[in-house]
Amino acid sequence: MVVGDASGAGPQPLLSVRRLKVFHGKFEAVHGVDMDVGEGEIVSIIGANGAGKSSLMKAIIGQVDRVEGDIRFDGQSLAGRATADIVAGGIALIPEGRRLFPSLSVEENLALGWEVGRKGEITLDDVFELFPILRERRRQKARELSGGQQQMVAVGRAMLSNPRLLLCDEISLGLAPTIINDIYKVIPSIRERGIGIIVVDQDIGRSLAVADRFYCMLEGDFSLTGRPRETDRDTVMKHYFGL
Amino acid sequence: MFNGFLNQIVQGILHGGLYAMFAVGLSLSVGVMRLINIAHGDFIVLASFVLFTLCTALGISPFLAMLIILPPAFVFGYLMQHVLLQKIVGSSNILPMILVTFGLSIIIENGLLIGYGPNPRKLLAGDLQIASLQLGGGVTVGLFPLITFGAAVALIFLLDLFLYRSRIGAKIRAVSDDVDAADLIGLSSKRIYAIAMGIVAMTIAISACFMGIRTNFDPSSGPTQLLTAFEVVVMGGLGSLWGTLFGGIMIGVAQAVGAQIDLAWEVLAGHLLFLLVLVVRPQGLLPKE
Amino acid sequence: MRSSSLQTNIVRSLRILLLLGIVALTFGPLYLDLGHLRFFTEVFSLLVLAMMWNLVAGYADIVTVGQHAFVGIGGYAFYAFAAKADLNVTEAMIAAGLLSLLIGIPITAVVFRMRAAYLAIGTWVVAEVCTLLASKIPGFGGASGITLPSTVIRAVGANVEARFSHLYWMALALAVVCFIATALLLRSRLGVGLMAMRDNEEAAGSVGVNIVVCRIVCFLWTALFLGLAGALLTLQNLRIQPQASFSLIDYTVYVIFAVVIGGIGSIEGSIIGVAVYIGLRSAFSDYGNLYLIFLGAVSIAIMLAEPRGIWGLVRRYLPEDVIPVSHRYRPKTEATPAE
Repeated sequence: MVVGDASGAGPQPLLSVRRLKVFHGKFEAVHGVDMDVGEGEIVSIIGANGAGKSSLMKAIIGQVDRVEGDIRFDGQSLAGRATADIVAGGIALIPEGRRLFPSLSVEENLALGWEVGRKGEITLDDVFELFPILRERRRQKARELSGGQQQMVAVGRAMLSNPRLLLCDEISLGLAPTIINDIYKVIPSIRERGIGIIVVDQDIGRSLAVADRFYCMLEGDFSLTGRPRETDRDTVMKHYFGL
Repeated sequence: MFNGFLNQIVQGILHGGLYAMFAVGLSLSVGVMRLINIAHGDFIVLASFVLFTLCTALGISPFLAMLIILPPAFVFGYLMQHVLLQKIVGSSNILPMILVTFGLSIIIENGLLIGYGPNPRKLLAGDLQIASLQLGGGVTVGLFPLITFGAAVALIFLLDLFLYRSRIGAKIRAVSDDVDAADLIGLSSKRIYAIAMGIVAMTIAISACFMGIRTNFDPSSGPTQLLTAFEVVVMGGLGSLWGTLFGGIMIGVAQAVGAQIDLAWEVLAGHLLFLLVLVVRPQGLLPKE
Repeated sequence: MRSSSLQTNIVRSLRILLLLGIVALTFGPLYLDLGHLRFFTEVFSLLVLAMMWNLVAGYADIVTVGQHAFVGIGGYAFYAFAAKADLNVTEAMIAAGLLSLLIGIPITAVVFRMRAAYLAIGTWVVAEVCTLLASKIPGFGGASGITLPSTVIRAVGANVEARFSHLYWMALALAVVCFIATALLLRSRLGVGLMAMRDNEEAAGSVGVNIVVCRIVCFLWTALFLGLAGALLTLQNLRIQPQASFSLIDYTVYVIFAVVIGGIGSIEGSIIGVAVYIGLRSAFSDYGNLYLIFLGAVSIAIMLAEPRGIWGLVRRYLPEDVIPVSHRYRPKTEATPAE
């Protein structure tokens, strides 16, 4: 029996997480959470440092040692599948801290996204259209770019994997506000392609503004879930800090 | 006298090509996997014995034998990484890396002793081995050393091309840059490492062919090749492919100069140059971590 | 109480056994025949080599594959002092150890320019250089080596029995001194720092010990004892020769295998390792190369499956070390909150 939550997803959500526990060694970082993400839906996960957001993301992409419970993508269980397999199946991650390959050119970094991905309609030209500056700098090494441009490459790289679900981990961290605006501007356009998106960001205001739904995480559990426009800020803050 | 000296220097430079060949595979595994394989030299000797066996059994030239073993060498390297070496890379604890590859070195050396005995062998390449060219100024070079040097340059050129112009090359460089990031975005480092090791094994097969024609080898020659390759890699700048050519030439020339003083100083001179470089100019020679 | 009284009693019994063993061995020449005297003399030397490799590789994170350098230096230095400078045997041995220590200083300066695995192979290069240089020193027999003068041999003992007994006691004394001194070193502040470093580099800094200094001290410490062992081995073999005195196989390869099998990172492991190695050797030495292949394979398997070797396996069931080198460190870990 699946207990429906505030899901805005259709009959079969793109991603469905049930009773998920995530372990780092003996430490249980996430204590059995349920979550759904639908096609073309933007879901924000908020929570203080160490609440378990990154663990949740890493569990979805297959980068933790041990999980319990169920993660289903398009109805298929992701249990025991390698990251490469998951990415090729249609989930891409924009990692925290961007994690570009510094000695590779912009073009090479982007091409890697295509290489590891699902091979779909999004091409290099689409990324260059979204971020014209990258076309100019495509021969430059990633380490020579500014932080904002690096983040654009990271977004582009993930898009070129042609995911059906995109995980954005702390994409505004360490960037100037105007640049964050530029980055966030592209998220709705990604959604328009029917891609489901999970946004994890310290910048709660910005991440809630773009989201259809949100989950608030507190010490490894969801303390609140709902729609940003229907939830007042005080309630969010109360559950964010666990007051 | 001066001509004789110049001649020696030229020989040294050419011999450096062979050393660069030894080192290029080690440089790749250091650069990509941060793996220092103590058995590197023993793998070269092992490949030489495989070539020796093929040449004697089939009566073919060492070069043909080398071409034949290139694909199996790749598979061997791939599996070696996949099954064993993968377990010892990527840890800040270097003990397993050193001890496992050290154990491999001992196993190969003693396995060859059982199979072939301690006698030195050589690969035979006919007239090629004795032909020589007269250059100006009283300098005479052997044709084969010249070919070896050319082959070393070609090998490095091709590897460079492969790393910087091919899709797999880009993946190898990406994993070398940031292995965790590669795994995060779905680029399986395990597979890339195995491919890289397969390529390393191919360079080993190639250098084994040239070494076997150029010099005698026996089951216990491995450590000498390892130390030379190691010195070349460190002097040439860790992980730098063209640097290995530079490092190889440095060692080759040092040995040639040493041999002028006394034949026994030949090997010693190479080691001493390495230690000297280490003391005088350690910056840029240390591993980037 | 996590440990039962049975386990505590086992540890106590092992300690008593160790002490009784040393006492019994002290009187060895009274009841051992010449063959066994020679055998044990070799075991004691091997034990020193094992404890030294364990000290640098297991504690100081210097995985040297060139420790035969110092053994050979000790041997050649002993020849110089005993045969050329006419010091008496004891003086020559001590002088050989000190010279090995002295030569260890520039060697340290060179190899510490490298780190980790590079340092490991760097020590091998240095050992190669030492071996090659040893054959070039005039008056030391070149590549074929030279036998100790009979005056030196007679100075050890007038007849074979006396000679073997004296060598036996010298080797036992060296092993015991090395054992106690190394245990004390590990119990000192320096040892605390090293053990902290092994667990966590940052914690080591907070213990307030300069890690680089610790590692250098350890490396030089082994230079001294390896030099002494080299002198002793020369006295046993009655000659010096570059390939034999600087033997990679005998003084480094076998030693590494012994320590890995016994258990790296503990003195108990070194002792067990030497015992197992000697036992295996008596049983399988006829197989020669196959025996080495076997040792290599076992070491690889241990490194991958049980990196702390036999002692690591046993130690899990015991409440504390038999040789208590780390008890002063333990309270500090407990004081540090877990991550």
